[in-house]
Amino acid sequence: MKPPRFAYAAPESLEEALELLKEHGSEAKVLAGGQSLMPMLNLRLLKPAILVDINRLPGRDRIDEAEGMLRVGLLVRHRQAERSPLVRQSLPLLAEAVRQIGHPQIRNRGTLCGSVAHADPAAELPAVLAALGGQVVLRSAGGRRVLPADQFFLGFLTTALEPEEVVEELRLPVAPPRTGAAFLEFSRRAGDFALVGVAAQLAFDAAGRIAAAGLALTGVGGTPFKAASAEALLRGQAPSARLFAEAAERVREEVDPEADIHASAEYRRHLAQVLTRRALEAAWRRAGLEAA
Amino acid sequence: MSSAEPSFQVIGRSQPRLDGPEKLRGSARYVADLHPAGLLHARLVLSPHAHARVRRIDTSGAVRAPGVVAVLTAADLEPTGLLAEGEVFYAGHPVAVVVAESEALAEDAAELVEVAYEPLPAVLDPEEAMRPGAPLVRELPEEHASQAMAAHGAAAGGARDEPRPRNASDVVRFRRGDVEAGFAQADAVIEATYRAAAVHQGHIETHGVVAEAAPDGSLTIWTSTQGSFDTRQGTAGTLGLEEHRIRVVPMTVGGAFGGKFLLLEPLAAAVARRLGRPVRLVLDRVQDFLVSRPSPAAVIHLKMGARRDGSLTALQARLVFDSGAEPGSPVGIAALLLGGTYRVANLDIAGYEVLTHKSPAGAYRGPGAPQAYFALESHMDRLARRLELDPLDFRLRNAVREGDPRPDGRPWPRLGLVECLERLRDHPLWKERPAGPDEGWGMAVGGWPGGLEPAAAGCRLDPDGTLTVQVGAVDITGSATSLAMIAAEVFGLAPDRVRVVNRDTDSSPFGGSAGGSKTVYTVGPAVQRAAEDARRQVLELAAERLEAAPEDLELRDGRVSVRGVPSRSVTLAELARLSTRFGSRYAPIHGHGRVAQRSSSPGFAVHLARVRVDRETGEVRVTGFLAVQDVGRAINPAEVAGQIRGGVAQGIGRTLLEQLVWDDAGQLLDANLADYRLPTGDDVPRIEAELVEVPAPDGPFGAKGVGEPPAIPVAAALANAVEAAVGVRLNEIPFRPEALLEAMKRAG
Ligand SMILES: Cc1cc2nc3c(=O)[nH]c(=O)nc-3n(C[C@H](O)[C@H](O)[C@H](O)COP(=O)(O)OP(=O)(O)OC[C@H]3O[C@@H](n4cnc5c(N)ncnc54)[C@H](O)[C@@H]3O)c2cc1C
Repeated sequence: MKPPRFAYAAPESLEEALELLKEHGSEAKVLAGGQSLMPMLNLRLLKPAILVDINRLPGRDRIDEAEGMLRVGLLVRHRQAERSPLVRQSLPLLAEAVRQIGHPQIRNRGTLCGSVAHADPAAELPAVLAALGGQVVLRSAGGRRVLPADQFFLGFLTTALEPEEVVEELRLPVAPPRTGAAFLEFSRRAGDFALVGVAAQLAFDAAGRIAAAGLALTGVGGTPFKAASAEALLRGQAPSARLFAEAAERVREEVDPEADIHASAEYRRHLAQVLTRRALEAAWRRAGLEAA
Repeated sequence: MSSAEPSFQVIGRSQPRLDGPEKLRGSARYVADLHPAGLLHARLVLSPHAHARVRRIDTSGAVRAPGVVAVLTAADLEPTGLLAEGEVFYAGHPVAVVVAESEALAEDAAELVEVAYEPLPAVLDPEEAMRPGAPLVRELPEEHASQAMAAHGAAAGGARDEPRPRNASDVVRFRRGDVEAGFAQADAVIEATYRAAAVHQGHIETHGVVAEAAPDGSLTIWTSTQGSFDTRQGTAGTLGLEEHRIRVVPMTVGGAFGGKFLLLEPLAAAVARRLGRPVRLVLDRVQDFLVSRPSPAAVIHLKMGARRDGSLTALQARLVFDSGAEPGSPVGIAALLLGGTYRVANLDIAGYEVLTHKSPAGAYRGPGAPQAYFALESHMDRLARRLELDPLDFRLRNAVREGDPRPDGRPWPRLGLVECLERLRDHPLWKERPAGPDEGWGMAVGGWPGGLEPAAAGCRLDPDGTLTVQVGAVDITGSATSLAMIAAEVFGLAPDRVRVVNRDTDSSPFGGSAGGSKTVYTVGPAVQRAAEDARRQVLELAAERLEAAPEDLELRDGRVSVRGVPSRSVTLAELARLSTRFGSRYAPIHGHGRVAQRSSSPGFAVHLARVRVDRETGEVRVTGFLAVQDVGRAINPAEVAGQIRGGVAQGIGRTLLEQLVWDDAGQLLDANLADYRLPTGDDVPRIEAELVEVPAPDGPFGAKGVGEPPAIPVAAALANAVEAAVGVRLNEIPFRPEALLEAMKRAG
């Protein structure tokens, strides 16, 4: 279990890294936390000519808030986001999602931008991005572009990322007041990639109605599944167990998962429904408006 | 927990494992840590096909790759048969070996070996394979004793002259009385089919070996193995060498559980002999899954009858074990245990070992027993439910006792099944069985016949006053600590003043393989005798020095003194120095012990488990566990409890999580530790270990084997708990959440 031969570069600045990517194009692979890339190399699923290790880029591990957006920098590790009071406070959904990524060892090294760039259909963060309508900031030697989640994730391990680009930053709208959120997932074994996961966030208006709903699922397709019609169903409604059950039923009808050795398509579909309902109920409960 | 007997100073008092610090600190040396000068690295080229003819192997590209020293196929090696010849019988069957200056270079070059295969139909389902006219998996060898099974004491007897169905490599049949008459007497007869998936032993250290040939062709083999003498014998037999020409050095074992018996050693040795340089062959995770010997899948059809008063009237069973591409499954033990746990006058059990085009099956913690008890103990609960009997009383009423015949007609030696059941019956947890919503409790029995193998030991007194105990049995469980405690008890020393060593097959006394729960049981008495012999020598020497009669001496805290006259004394260190210096008149202190135990020590366990079922997802979580086990005598209670917890954790794994999955073409789909789910801390609850001590007549201080039993009853205990929680039961392990959902839906 040794990786194939590759050249290795460890640039000290982003500019340098971007130059290398420009020079080597699709022959190069960015090495961030290595938690997905190294296994793929060791299993020889990838054979890049050169690895561009971005771990030494200075000042790229910041999480901050600006203009209503939480901004997660290039080298922010899962563990850092998990422990960040800012994340917990302004975007509880993200905090809960990150906590469920792998094990502490993986979270210590893995990066949020890396997870988004990798775009595993079972990964938590792409679903969070999709649920919240987050943005991905892409950077190359030629400049910067910002893509909304639905234009970034294109298919199984496939994104709009060009070979000479890096994911420089993630932008996620801060949760408005009177919001509840939940990230629920089901795996056969704790710490595994989940069979199905649900990211749900509900914002309520002063009257206690659902002002905005964000809902997306992992594990039911090649990209995170944005449950747009269930969101529409929820919007403007008074929350109730019945409403959530209806939204969950809608999700069940619309997802089109595939079978693998871990679960049948039918079971994933069933999980999508159960978890959606539970996540919506939990989000409602957590908003603390139930009595209203 | 057992209480230490006051007359013992060491036995029965928990103490940390002597191998703990080096393992925790990372200073233990494993095979993969060895780097002898000139070391070469070997990489296997495996068949991607479950069944195919090998038309041509083109090694030319690989030979030219950087760092490559040799690319060898069956035809290049002496003897032949170390690699596939002409035909491959499972995906993972090694067809060539690439040897290079580094592991990475060997792996690079292995990709360049081009093999032309002509795929042949693969036979994957054992029941299909048994049908008349099914394609033949391979020509069957006539005699095929499995080393691993023999080491586990698996010789189960039973008639073996039964007609063999197609592709069956072994048939075992046990009969007693008249089952039809028995079923006619029953008030309830239940019939069901149980299935257990194939699982891997899950040892974290993969298989690995380093072999080096001396210029005269003699060999040294460093290996991660459960049996150094077994490895020597197997390698010698394969290579056609006399045993003494091979020195096997058993390395620290990073997990074995039945999986580490002779596998890669003959191949590595043959390559080393051919190339004249040391060769290392350490499997990576994927190859370990493909090449090693998993625990076989089993289908058990069981029919049992009982009367309203709770007596069993008949038991009929048909077992099919999927042995993969080679014989060697434990169907015989499974059949023996299935029919040997309860008193039943009428039985008829037929066990079939069937070949398929999958990785050859091997041993795993209680080979055959978890499969057998999943069926038997699920069935016992069902019968109890049907007849409205208390499940524990029902078992107690039928449980075998000493002297009862096993299915092979031999009487059971002393065993503690009844005592375990009684202990559970009196336990507060059984009496209360507290359960929340969607929770339920289940109990199950499991047992292991216990293995036997002769053993010898040496006990040397060293000039620092410590003992060096020499054994030939490998420590895979912490057994060396127990053996040290046995010698320490005899000498009145602290256990950390005893070193247990097993250097290599040249210098160690004979010891059997660590398997079958027999190391402490069989090697322990040899150590005890060796220590007693050494002690006698010590007292004789001290008597001469102290001018006293040996009977008047006492040995305590490393010192021999004249009873009642503490000032007249001599230390062990002084005695050792006296007898190991130039010109000394005294013979060195060196005790010997050897035994060939004749009676086995069966180990029985009774488990009580609580599960919680998520009715919407079908998820089963274990929320409580009590393991009652007869251990004869707990030499080191902490270690025994550790064995029990580990065994239960593995049982939980194979019941809820683990499964080797082959696709329709015979490809193993989960040959990695991401898809193959070993249980982690989150999947295993706190496990309470309750030790019952029914002394084994021939065990050291009454001890019997404890390693296997705790892995055995788990599946049925969980199945029974699921039924108690949600009213439906699963007949297939591992439990699939989907299957449970469907069962609940069917039940309404
Ligand atoms: C045992 C285990 C369990 C895991 N469980 C989970 C889980 O439950 N949920 C989950 O989401 N993940 C899980 N992971 C994966 C983990 O989250 C990874 O951290 C993540 O997928 C990738 O992040 P990374 O920083 O490690 O990226 P790397 O492994 O370094 O890179 C992954 C890919 O993304 C590219 N890449 C990385 N960073 C960038 C960037 N900034 N710009 C452009 N391309 C980039 C790389 O070139 C590579 O192709 C698990 C991993 C392991 C080993």
